[in-house]
Amino acid sequence: MIKSLIITHGNLGHELIQVAEKILEQKLDIKAIAFDWQGDGSDMIAQLDKFVADNKGHKIIIFTDMFGGSPSNIATRFINKNVEVLSGINLPGLLKFFCHDGKDKKFMEIIKTVEQGAIEGINIISEYLGEKND
Amino acid sequence: MIEKTQVIINKLGLHARAAAKLSHLANMFSANIYLIYNEDKVNAKSLLGILTLAASVGNELILQANGDDEQQAIAAISDLFNRKFDEES
Repeated sequence: MIKSLIITHGNLGHELIQVAEKILEQKLDIKAIAFDWQGDGSDMIAQLDKFVADNKGHKIIIFTDMFGGSPSNIATRFINKNVEVLSGINLPGLLKFFCHDGKDKKFMEIIKTVEQGAIEGINIISEYLGEKND
Repeated sequence: MIEKTQVIINKLGLHARAAAKLSHLANMFSANIYLIYNEDKVNAKSLLGILTLAASVGNELILQANGDDEQQAIAAISDLFNRKFDEES
């Protein structure tokens, strides 16, 4: 089973989860950690350490809000064969993760599916509709 | 394989919560189920796929299903559309 958490600047992660739960009408098994603007990241590292320890034996995906930001940089330190980080998570990506059919799929295949869902959720709408109407 | 024409009658069209309900329902059936709108055909079991249709109230779709429980699938999905996704009184 894949365990998940989302680490973001401010409460962005909490808000994304709340919206996804509203859309899917279910409580989602995901933890959110908000980066403390005033801190040095040590609190976040401690929370990540605990999450990884508590979920030993599981695959873990850490969603972050922006590649290169502190939450993402800190999460990157935890990457190993059981832990992967997907940066730039958005609502489509999060929905994709919780709606994916993980049967017979490897950990990285699932992450790539989520990445694709997040990317495909970004569109210049007039161009998208224009393409559809051509 | 069976098909049914379906008009969207809920005010908000195939928005996120409606698409979530639709994909959740579709996943209860073993049949392959598709929504066809204009020239687009999407998997009804994919929430994000449904959203790409950007289909609104008054638009007409084709529900298509292929598999053992295709009849039940189309009937249940059509019922969900006709119940306005249970979002309007």
